[in-house]
Amino acid sequence: MTLRFRTAAAFAAALSFLPPLAAQDQQPLRWGTDPTGGAPYIYQDNDGKFVGFEVEIADFLAAKLGRASQMVKGDWDKLPELLDKKEIDVVFNGYELREDMVRKYAVTRPYYVYRLQLVAHKDDATIEGWADLPAREGRKGKSVGVLNGTVAHEYLKEKYGDKIDLKINPDVATVMGLVKDRRLDATVQDGPAAVYFCKEMPQLRPVGEGRNPGFYVIYLAKSDPALLDKLNAAFRDGVTSGRFEAIYRKYGIWNDDQERLGYWLDRPWPPFAAANKSEEEAKPKSNPWPRMLRELVEAAGVTVLLAVISFPLAVLLGLLVAVGRVYGPGWLAAVLGVYVEVLRGTPLLLQLYTIYYLIPKVFPGFDLTPFQAGIFGLAVNYSAYEAENYRAGLLAIPRGQSEAALSLGMTKWTAIRRVVVPQAVRIVIPPVTNDFIALFKDTSVCSVILITELTRKYNELYNFNRDYIVELAAVTAGLYLLMSYPLALAARLLERRLGTAHPGGRP
Amino acid sequence: MIRVANLVKTHGPLRVLDGVNLDVREGEVTALVGPSGGGKSTLLRCINGLESFASGEVAVGNDLKLTGGKAHDTNALLALRRRVGMVFQQFNLFPHMTALENVMSGPVYALGQSKASARAAAEKLLARVGLAEKAGAKPATLSGGQQQRVAIARALAVNPRAMLFDEPTSALDPKMAGEVLAVMRDLAADGMTMIVVSHDTEFVRGAATVHRMEAGKIVQSGPPTAVLD
Repeated sequence: MTLRFRTAAAFAAALSFLPPLAAQDQQPLRWGTDPTGGAPYIYQDNDGKFVGFEVEIADFLAAKLGRASQMVKGDWDKLPELLDKKEIDVVFNGYELREDMVRKYAVTRPYYVYRLQLVAHKDDATIEGWADLPAREGRKGKSVGVLNGTVAHEYLKEKYGDKIDLKINPDVATVMGLVKDRRLDATVQDGPAAVYFCKEMPQLRPVGEGRNPGFYVIYLAKSDPALLDKLNAAFRDGVTSGRFEAIYRKYGIWNDDQERLGYWLDRPWPPFAAANKSEEEAKPKSNPWPRMLRELVEAAGVTVLLAVISFPLAVLLGLLVAVGRVYGPGWLAAVLGVYVEVLRGTPLLLQLYTIYYLIPKVFPGFDLTPFQAGIFGLAVNYSAYEAENYRAGLLAIPRGQSEAALSLGMTKWTAIRRVVVPQAVRIVIPPVTNDFIALFKDTSVCSVILITELTRKYNELYNFNRDYIVELAAVTAGLYLLMSYPLALAARLLERRLGTAHPGGRP
Repeated sequence: MIRVANLVKTHGPLRVLDGVNLDVREGEVTALVGPSGGGKSTLLRCINGLESFASGEVAVGNDLKLTGGKAHDTNALLALRRRVGMVFQQFNLFPHMTALENVMSGPVYALGQSKASARAAAEKLLARVGLAEKAGAKPATLSGGQQQRVAIARALAVNPRAMLFDEPTSALDPKMAGEVLAVMRDLAADGMTMIVVSHDTEFVRGAATVHRMEAGKIVQSGPPTAVLD
């Protein structure tokens, strides 16, 4: 055996360990989804494995394309952004066919025909149909939960406006659970979710007829026509071979509407003209800004209200905690120390979630409205930070101050209240102002408990007006600044008004 | 009027006050002199109840008594402090209040008087220490001498029967010290019972009795000429 031959043999052996060239060429099909969106689309079974009719369809499509199926998780309403950033190949998670989306993205033929389904509690006799939702003479509008940025959200907003109490949340299981616990009157969901949850939660029942039929489609980049053709071919196969039907029957969501999937295989698609126009000329004619600005300003009002009610409570509570820690008996100081560490050491999001969703499950009497829970949560959370500010302030007051007060015959508590606390409060105005501005922005966390404040409203508008993503972000940021800067100025003025001696340096 | 008997205060192994006896008659000015760390300030703070002590007792008048070895009774402390005023080396004015509010703070917050009646009395006291026109000024805008005079007016506002002065002029330059000493002489002339810790020889010479303290003990007592010369 010559040396040359041996080398060549070794080279060939090494090559044989590499995968075949063709498979190297085929990247996995990365499909963007939000598993928290829930059953029956995609969810985890008892073994932690992701299942759901969309998982099965994705696997089917990937197999047809000769590619591996790779799930990529993201926030549901941000999946198109993942597509823009080329993190995923397709958006595939119950996305409805919408004109504004079609302007920006390529779209497949439908894989499911859904209708909006109203769901209410089985014991609630006041809701027998859609007509029972809006406010009527002598009756308030029903509270109706929807997922942010869905067609259901848009439909209810346009159809009923202020006549119903629309509550927005990103998580379907949460909304369904709130209806089950009768903390929301009803919810409107796409058919598959309604079917699944009415089966899972026997307290729920579908009410009235399915409305506003629409299509679930897959969105992908316009720059990838080859992938679009392959996906559509796979769809044709899935529909005509009965594979889709089998999957839908397995999840109990097959119905007569799905017969139309076959009809749309050979018709012009998508069924509106806008898709063929360029993005520029297709922009809607009516100017949406007056309406969007009005909605943003209204939501900013909620933000201000949350901040200006919760912060004084946080300050008062924080001051009491600080005084208790510094001057109270040892056991009290220990208890308050734990209070501060627990509240500082856990996320505000979790605290709000606990106050609004979990505590009422244990203590049914403690059933706060979302706004009350938001105020309570913010006040308690920030009281921990304010307590530390005030503790620093109290400790900074020279001992001679309280001794002088005591020598005049004041009691310990009078000396604290009249002499020490007023000075401590002045010293810590700058860090307290800091926290006020931080709280101001933290009000956005309240959106997890169904409060529509500025950030939530921005998200909502952004979903329905994807043509104005940049402008909306700028206006929202501007509104925050417009609100927080005057607050900072006011605090500065307060500081100067109350200011004591500054032993050097610019106050 | 003020009687200290066998007062012992310890700080770890150190006997900060080591069996101090003191008798101050009504209307008399008593001066405490001696090196720093001798226990003069600590003695004043014990008389005012700002410090607890290991043994012995402090009596003010016939009815008020602080006893060593235990926490002071709160009511006795309050009553004693309203009877015995105190002026500190560092003034300790309340910086968030005006001069007038400082003077009013005792009557209003400790004695529960109405602001109106306390204000009238406080204005008179400020006039007495020569600062009527500074009523609305914050302490930070006053000179050291002015601050100490406000502090004296503040201590007088609760109508004490005796006054303790803890090195009232040590933080002041001679001119300002002079303003403060003038006010103190005026008080003494009015018959106020006073115990003064001071390094100002001239003032001490005006006292009725002088005690020299060293290492926690009174080592010498008598009229100024006997102790100082």
